[in-house]
Amino acid sequence: MVMVTKVPPRHTPPHRALRLLLASGVTAVSLVAVPGTAAAEDDKSAGNTLTVAVSQSIDSLSPFLAQKLTSTSIHRLAYEYLTNYDAKDARTVPGLATAWTPSADKLTWTYTIRDNSKWSDGKPATAEDAAWTFNKMMTDPNAATANGSFTANFAQVTAPDPKTLVIRLKKPQATMTALDVPIVPKHVWEKVGDFSKFNNDKQFPIVGNGPFVITDFKVDQYIKLKPNKTFWRGAPKFDELVFKYYKDGDAAVAALQKGEVSFVPNLTPAQAAALKTQKNIKVNDAPGRRFYAIATNPGAKAQDGKTFGNGHKALLDPAVRKALFLAVDRTTLVDKVFQGHAVEGEGYIPPRFGSYFWKPSDAQKRSYDPTAADKVLFAAGYRKNAEGKRVGKDGKPLDFRILCHATDPNDKAVGKYLQEWWGALGIGLKVDCLDSVSDPWVKGDYDLAFDGWSVNPDPDYVLSIHTCGTLPATPKDSGATDNFICDTEFDGLYAQQAVEYDTAKRADLVKRMQSRLYDTGYMNIMAYPNALEAYRTDQIASITTMPEAAGNLWGQDGYWSWWSATPTASASDGDSSGSSTTVWLILGPVALVLVAVGVWTARRRRTTADDRE
Amino acid sequence: MTSTEPTLPSAASLRWERRRSSVSRFWKAYRTHRAGLYGLAGLALIALLALTAPLTVGADVQSVTQAPGTALESPSSEFPLGTDQFGRSLLGLLIWGARISLLVGLLAAALSVAIGTLVGIIAGHYGGWFSTVVMRITDWFLVMPTLVLAIVLATVMSRSMWTVVIAIGVTSWPTTARLVRAQTIAVESRPYIERATALGGGHGHVMSRHVLPNVMPLVLAQTTLGISTAILTEATLAFLGLGDPTVVSWGGMLQDAREAGAVSSGHWWYLAPPGIAIALVALAFTLCGRAVESVLNPKLGVSR
Repeated sequence: MVMVTKVPPRHTPPHRALRLLLASGVTAVSLVAVPGTAAAEDDKSAGNTLTVAVSQSIDSLSPFLAQKLTSTSIHRLAYEYLTNYDAKDARTVPGLATAWTPSADKLTWTYTIRDNSKWSDGKPATAEDAAWTFNKMMTDPNAATANGSFTANFAQVTAPDPKTLVIRLKKPQATMTALDVPIVPKHVWEKVGDFSKFNNDKQFPIVGNGPFVITDFKVDQYIKLKPNKTFWRGAPKFDELVFKYYKDGDAAVAALQKGEVSFVPNLTPAQAAALKTQKNIKVNDAPGRRFYAIATNPGAKAQDGKTFGNGHKALLDPAVRKALFLAVDRTTLVDKVFQGHAVEGEGYIPPRFGSYFWKPSDAQKRSYDPTAADKVLFAAGYRKNAEGKRVGKDGKPLDFRILCHATDPNDKAVGKYLQEWWGALGIGLKVDCLDSVSDPWVKGDYDLAFDGWSVNPDPDYVLSIHTCGTLPATPKDSGATDNFICDTEFDGLYAQQAVEYDTAKRADLVKRMQSRLYDTGYMNIMAYPNALEAYRTDQIASITTMPEAAGNLWGQDGYWSWWSATPTASASDGDSSGSSTTVWLILGPVALVLVAVGVWTARRRRTTADDRE
Repeated sequence: MTSTEPTLPSAASLRWERRRSSVSRFWKAYRTHRAGLYGLAGLALIALLALTAPLTVGADVQSVTQAPGTALESPSSEFPLGTDQFGRSLLGLLIWGARISLLVGLLAAALSVAIGTLVGIIAGHYGGWFSTVVMRITDWFLVMPTLVLAIVLATVMSRSMWTVVIAIGVTSWPTTARLVRAQTIAVESRPYIERATALGGGHGHVMSRHVLPNVMPLVLAQTTLGISTAILTEATLAFLGLGDPTVVSWGGMLQDAREAGAVSSGHWWYLAPPGIAIALVALAFTLCGRAVESVLNPKLGVSR
């Protein structure tokens, strides 16, 4: 790679620099030799390495616990799921299962498991592994933390033979061809004791059957993966895939410019604009699969009925929430904060998933209207006091806190706008930016929070996180719930859509759920940010976006991008490793000669000194 | 009977007379330090800009909803330093940011010196095992990397201007404490302290009436020097994202610039001015501090 620049230009012809170097022969040698070795080493590992800059920390490498995008993206690479989504149009395609058939009553699903998938330790991946994974999630609540919504309705899972997996359901379930559950090797995982504590990050390489094998992991430093040479769909082309941590976006972009990383996601508009003009760098600006929202604390509750947290009581009043959201100008946010690299928020599911996309009707829509917001508050009995502050029912001024991710510039930027918009209503806002928001979040210690999820082609999961069933069991536990929303009407619709096999009818139910969620007013979807990402074309020759036309690369619903990426044919890699070798070939002998000359002179001096005596 | 004796000046007017003369003596000595004068002039200018900011740029300059420009414009006649990612004028923000940067610098330095003076005088006055214990604590703070401690404090407490003031204040006092303790011991070894004690002066009286006035010059010099450190630390903390994200300060501007991607996209006019401003103010305070120090500190003063 471009490491050549690191080697100091020390190849002055020896005869000119001789005197100087003789005086400090060893120093010179070390000067020449050390960077030389470093460059050589870098080159060896960088030969065909695909380095991806990431910033989000890993919550867990255990597929039973991981919920964050980075973690789940890596599990996509390391484990095979029963089914996958096609890169072109996100329709279901075979994964570990080659075929699937429901019974007539749709309550028994039979999957045929492929016989050419092997775990990276050589053992074959069979239906037994899949059955064990699902059974574990059904019997151990700790194993159901991340993906429990998929198995909650399973009655029985069996593997009559290594090629057949049979799942019996209690009720019909719409997500049977979109079970986003990593299948783990039974022979490794049956030794695990406590699933709530096991993070799968002690023994490397981690046994898996996806296109890559996780070989190393250091918290907030890197995750290294090697290609699985026996992967049934074909081995990935790169020799190594490294997810390297850059907590600072500008540092990641600088690394991309220098060629130290091949891919950087989540660019700011200014970075994207600057990178667009540079050669060997391609900027990908595609509709994203994320929504970006403000969530309010609806009074955090556990399933045992106990409330907890210190969320502001005034936010339990729908009028207050409505007024707050009426005072949020989403168009301005898209224009100013995202500078056009986003689509204005409407319903819960981004427009990219066309069949499930829903827009509020004119009657229910909360368009930007500060005067109306003022009226709503006034009508609900929230008056302004002498200092112009809005006063709550308890006579105290309304002052809210909003949880913001310190690592996300958008949160801070939107926070500034909210402060001014809500300030005009007389409502104070304190922007609490934390490196890790999960602590106060899980404890319910927040009033409002910036929220966002990546949506899968099948919306079941992102809808499930707002059902009562995902609330934590007790205030001390943590549940899969996003922000403690629990609404019976929403739950009813969720149950209906989950058993609906008719796609059109299900889409209709999903839209009604979004409508209900919108009306509860617990969340305000502000925007669907674009995927703004860049990669080096002199390192990555080709890579598959998803969807293939105008799609994203980072955080796909499959392993397509990294699995399909092909290294640029020796253009830069071969060349520079060659020139690095050349440098080494020149510098090595030069160093040796210098040492020899140095030693020789030193000895000669001593002898002449002796002689002179 | 009319008094023929000349009226004795009252104690108060005597005190004023003495103070006036010492101030003029101080100024005469200070004037001889050319660098100190430059520093003072620079400070006066910056202070003037900061104080008149509400009139010249107005608080609206911070508003994102009423930002006049578009995002990240390059310098033009309308925006001499260009605009930030919200379209706000960077020149306006720079002037407005001076207020917070100076305020935090002054408050933090004052807090730090106050703690240091208190600890130093008490430790120096009482001596014995008490002094040893207090000084070991001071040493512990002294060897602790200030920035790391400040980062920890700023992380643990909520994000606000006061957090930054406290974080800087409670981490940078040990140097002052050590200096003041040494000076206290020196002062207390003089005979008049013994006389004061013999006349019935208690601990409080000796510390506040005799020791404190004598360590004040040192404290003053220390404060002036401390401000520049405090301003730099404030900028560092804000740059690391530990300041209040909703107030405009110079360090915060640098942090905003970094977050907007100004570094990698080459918008130098976003980065350079706050950096230069921080450097200039820190330099001005250091120049003043050095001059004050050499005027007031007898050990440094005699040679000039």
